Amino acid sequence: MKRNPRKVKWTKAYRRVHGKDMTQDSTFEFERKRNRPERYDRNLAENVLKAIPKIDKIRVSREERHHKNRMKGNKEKDRKEAKRELDTSIHLVKDPIASRDIKVNVTQQLPEENPLMEE
Amino acid sequence: MATRLKFENSCEVGVFSKLTNAYCLVAVGGSENFYSTFEAELSDVIPVIKTSIGGTRIVGRLCIGNKNGLLLPHTTTDQELQHLKNSLPDQVRVQRIEEKLSALGNCIACNDHVALTHTDLDKETEEVVADVLGVEVFRQTVAGNILVGSYCAFSNKGGLVHPHTSVEDLDELSTLLQVPLVAGTVNRGSEVIAAGMTVNDWTAFCGSDTTATELSVIENVFKLREAKPSAIVDEMRKSLFDS
Repeated sequence: MKRNPRKVKWTKAYRRVHGKDMTQDSTFEFERKRNRPERYDRNLAENVLKAIPKIDKIRVSREERHHKNRMKGNKEKDRKEAKRELDTSIHLVKDPIASRDIKVNVTQQLPEENPLMEE
Repeated sequence: MATRLKFENSCEVGVFSKLTNAYCLVAVGGSENFYSTFEAELSDVIPVIKTSIGGTRIVGRLCIGNKNGLLLPHTTTDQELQHLKNSLPDQVRVQRIEEKLSALGNCIACNDHVALTHTDLDKETEEVVADVLGVEVFRQTVAGNILVGSYCAFSNKGGLVHPHTSVEDLDELSTLLQVPLVAGTVNRGSEVIAAGMTVNDWTAFCGSDTTATELSVIENVFKLREAKPSAIVDEMRKSLFDS
């Protein structure tokens, strides 16, 4: 069964097309395919190897920022939803047996404690 | 000077090697004989480089180059690209191109000034060819075949084309390329000229099956006998002073 990845919710293709994940960033330029090679230079190679983890870190932090920006406008909505739920469906949450008052007979218990304390 | 050789029992020398005025690319064979022949002839003058393209040995048919540059198909791996760039002199520009017709050696024939290309080549590729190789590009057919890179081989001194090329076509191509052209065969009557031989300005390599007649035609049209004028002068001097 052939499914178009751009319509399948959990794929990277879907997320990129629908703006859930970051698409355009200068960090992606480092991984692009190049058709004009450079002559091998030891210093250049060393610098590149040092730069790779730095670029990775920057890319990850930018992706997190992108995600946070996307989720920003949600606080108000969440609070309103929570309030509505509290008003209408609290009976689903509260336990009728637990909310009943329990009477504790305090006077009977005191003489029982004395023999224990004497020992 | 034309040399006859074989690649692992195949006479199609032009398939497994690419010879230009500035470098020579050779395929990796089981034994070193093929590479040694090239090395013995050329290594004083130009670098001879063993390579593969896209993991294959048919380097002569996949790439195209002259003394200014080398063009490779999109199937070339990054490692091969880097190896070629490191091994070639700095004046040679190496570039990988994205082109549907990936056998560039079959689609394009060039020397240091002019190139003939397949009629269906992309416009961008034509521009890249003109830029990287520094040549003037013409879309042509040779004897009705669109694969110009296979059916003709030419250097800066002369050219050999498919045996069934008509005289008018021959004249037209000759004026376009500005070199003398001859219609002939290689490897005992094989029409695929560029697969059977590879040539530059001073030397040529043909398959072992090439007859003496074909070889003499090649040496005449590519002017290989006069290639080392110093040798001729030395011979003359020896005969003059011999008593």
